[in-house]
Amino acid sequence: MHPGRQLAVLGLVFVVLYLAVFFAGGASGSFTDRLKPKLGLDLVGGTQATYIASQAGAPPTQEAMKTAQEIIESRVNALGVSEAEVVIQGNNTIVVSLAGEAEDQLKDLSQAANMRFRLLTGVTGDVSASALNPASPTPSASASGSAAPSAEPSAAASGAAPEVGASPSTGGQGGGAPAPSGSPSPAPSTSASAPAAAPAPQTGDMAANLAAAKEKVGAETWALAEKLSAPVDLSTDPEAGLPFKAFSTLSGPEVAALSPQMQFNVPTISCAQLNARPNGSIDDISSEVVACYQGAAKVTLDKAEVIGDDIKEASPQLDTTQNQWVVSLDFKSEGQTKWAELTRKAFNATTTDACYTAVTSLYGTAEHCAVAVVLDKEILSAPQIQGVLTGSSQITGDFNAVSAKKLADQLNFGAIPVNFEAGPAQTVSATLGYEQLEAGLLAAAIGLGLVAVYAFFYYRLLGSVIFLSLGLSALLTFGALVFLGRTMGFTVTLAGIAGFIVSLGVAADSFVIYFERLKDEIHEGRSPRSAVPRAWNRARRTIISANTITILCAAVLYIVSIGAVQGFAFAMGLSVVLDLLVVFLFRHPIMTMFANTKAFMSPRVSGLGRVLRTAQTEETPSSRVKEA
Amino acid sequence: MARPGLATRLYQGEANINIVGRRKTWFLVAALLVVFSIGTIAIRGFHLGIEFSGGTSFTLPAAAAGKTLTQDDAEDVVTRAIHAVQPDATVLAAQQIGTGDSSSFTVRASALSAPEVEKAKTAIVGELGLTADQVSDNQVSSAWGGAVTEKAILGLVIFLILVVAYLIVRFEWRMAVGALASLLLDLTLTAGIYSAVGFEVTPSTVIGFLTILGYALYDVVVVFDKVQENTRGITAGSGRTYAEATNLAVNQTLMRSLNTGLVALLPVGGLLFIGAGLLGAGTLKDLGLVLFVGMGLGVISSIVFAAPVLSALKDQEPKIKAHNARVLAKRASRSDDVAPRAERTRSADATDSDEPAFVGGTTPRPGARPAVKRNTTNRGGGAGNRPSGGGKRR
Repeated sequence: MHPGRQLAVLGLVFVVLYLAVFFAGGASGSFTDRLKPKLGLDLVGGTQATYIASQAGAPPTQEAMKTAQEIIESRVNALGVSEAEVVIQGNNTIVVSLAGEAEDQLKDLSQAANMRFRLLTGVTGDVSASALNPASPTPSASASGSAAPSAEPSAAASGAAPEVGASPSTGGQGGGAPAPSGSPSPAPSTSASAPAAAPAPQTGDMAANLAAAKEKVGAETWALAEKLSAPVDLSTDPEAGLPFKAFSTLSGPEVAALSPQMQFNVPTISCAQLNARPNGSIDDISSEVVACYQGAAKVTLDKAEVIGDDIKEASPQLDTTQNQWVVSLDFKSEGQTKWAELTRKAFNATTTDACYTAVTSLYGTAEHCAVAVVLDKEILSAPQIQGVLTGSSQITGDFNAVSAKKLADQLNFGAIPVNFEAGPAQTVSATLGYEQLEAGLLAAAIGLGLVAVYAFFYYRLLGSVIFLSLGLSALLTFGALVFLGRTMGFTVTLAGIAGFIVSLGVAADSFVIYFERLKDEIHEGRSPRSAVPRAWNRARRTIISANTITILCAAVLYIVSIGAVQGFAFAMGLSVVLDLLVVFLFRHPIMTMFANTKAFMSPRVSGLGRVLRTAQTEETPSSRVKEA
Repeated sequence: MARPGLATRLYQGEANINIVGRRKTWFLVAALLVVFSIGTIAIRGFHLGIEFSGGTSFTLPAAAAGKTLTQDDAEDVVTRAIHAVQPDATVLAAQQIGTGDSSSFTVRASALSAPEVEKAKTAIVGELGLTADQVSDNQVSSAWGGAVTEKAILGLVIFLILVVAYLIVRFEWRMAVGALASLLLDLTLTAGIYSAVGFEVTPSTVIGFLTILGYALYDVVVVFDKVQENTRGITAGSGRTYAEATNLAVNQTLMRSLNTGLVALLPVGGLLFIGAGLLGAGTLKDLGLVLFVGMGLGVISSIVFAAPVLSALKDQEPKIKAHNARVLAKRASRSDDVAPRAERTRSADATDSDEPAFVGGTTPRPGARPAVKRNTTNRGGGAGNRPSGGGKRR
């Protein structure tokens, strides 16, 4: 390639990079603002959030806190290549600090992320509003619409025998045949229907909450609620909800203490109340639970047949046919078996199954049963199962690129064994501060200066090539840092600055390899014009071999490791790639052009002078030999 | 100019220092240093920073008892209080949490025992005129999770496997072993120095340590690249033994090694100077120190360890063994001859052979050859005057 063309390519890279710096990736503010890299926690401070374990009774074990710390750390790091700090304070608190203003990012970090796949077995509308205010029995189409059919599936869900519950709703279409798929799931759920059975693991103050709830509601209403075997049907009697009015005053924890049946059947318990239940309320794998589907319908969900631990790997994907983001799942081998079993059950369900009628009432029509994908307290989606799934599967839902990645990360990192309450996010000042930043930059200047002095002293004019390339590297690196800081959250810490200072030296190293080669070639008696390409060919091999190793190191560490090490690997990879860019697109063409000038031969100008002199004096008698 | 100075000879790649020939010495030195390093690591361990070992944090209000503290005040007071009870404790810089009057300062220090914490707390409370409940203390875990170390080590192992595979493909297994041995030597010695001197190990140190990894291998690869070039088809000629050819390569890249070592160490020196000299402690010093030690060792070991290991391994290879024997036999048979003459003849003859049999390595006496060449003004053998890579052309 013509040297001019390589320089043009470099120029293009440069222009594109700086256009990106100024105009792309959410650039805003004045020109100087756009030129600011994202500085790390140690240099400019950031935001700190405190998460306190909300487990009742004894504080969580140290092991659990450690696991929680690690998972939270993984999640923070998944947000971008920033160096966050996650420490355990005392015995039940985790403190997370992030660079810059990061309240949004800190919001969901402590989410437990317990993933559960549960068969959807019953639906009733979120009718608390109409139950409390029966004056308008059909206040909105959606609420009453979903309330109307709700009576049917609920019978199945709460009833002891699914066949019995299902048959009235479907007109007695034969109860025995579908039993294999329908009966196994609801059957065990009846055992969990004892009113006092606590669905959540924290039994400590469950009893207290239950007692409080009983007291609030009053014994009479309580007895009434206990007798319910199906959600109260407001479509026939709009006033039927009134006796249960007291339930609307229960707090989240109190609602959580109620049996799933009661949570589901009592019409005055709203979705808002269900959502206010403490974290972890519906995590229990072996019990039936009640949750809200998209804030509009209360649903009962069977016990969890497949859980997050069964997932081997999750990854965000763009479904191009639907043009929407999904999370693709690969199950572990036994998880795959369980998942196939669950989907078989849902797929093979017939109209007599409870889950089938539930789907009908939820979607209007039904072909198969639905499996709800539940993350902590939230149902992400409840798709109808279109086949027995034996390979990888996808979770659909209202995802965008960010939320899909977040969910995939959460699944990959595993669930946090402790439930946390998030405290307020606060600003936190820098640990090191500007003084150290200035010192770091001073060190960079000194380092660059020393290298430059050495280069000029040793290579004379060729030193200017080194100096120019280092300057170019620095500009490219800076541009990349600004841009990546904005798009990837790459933060520059003091260690990072030091790393780049070091890479200056390493970048200069590849010049030394080249120039020493050049010296060899000229020493051998070649003219600079022929020596440059030859030296280049040989040096290129060496430089590529050596840089391959560095890139390998960076890539492996970036993929495998986490935290600060990952950030370091990224910086190292970046600087090597930029170094190679400069070597190939700047130094080589410049040297080629340089070799064609007369000045190159002048010992005063080029650092090859002494070699040139020696070579020339020796060349006369022996040139024949050398050029042979 | 009877004999150019060492600098000039270095500059022209003609230093001709016998490095590979003294490999037994280097191995002995390396072995002693490794034993020392492992010993000191086993006995003394490392002085781990707060980021690794966790510690104690003190939190005090920014505005209390009618005055407002600055970040420096808070840091000073807490540092003094802690040092009064535990002079060896490390105290990190204070951090302000929140803004305005409701903000507080947190100061993290190395782990203190419960009575020490009480004493320090009392001192802080007394000095600032606060009430005891306004100052809180907490045990703080390590910020550097165990998982980070685990994953980093996993990454390291994977990297080493891949790099060995790469070196085997790119060079050969003996070179891979040599490179790996030299790398492990670097890392062990650096760790040993850290343990022996008792420098504090912080996350910055670990990062620096990983930087050495790439750098040390980089150096070795450059040397081996030259060795490979010089020894290609060596068995076809009979001018030099493998060890001598390797030594020549090392000499030829010596200037480069020193140059790059210097060029890379200059900025690191700047870091260390600024970090340790102006700021006293902190990230810059930690990084500068580990890099200075590690990179310095990397340059040295690529010269005096990697290449000797390679030649020792190569000498075991039957083909090379036979070749070495042949070279030595030939040399012995010519020993009656005047050495310079012999060299000259060979140089002249060698114009077309793959390895022009110049002289560099044949005479283990360092520096002998260039001097002879120049003095005899034997220009006919000019080839001998440019040992630097010039030798082999193709």
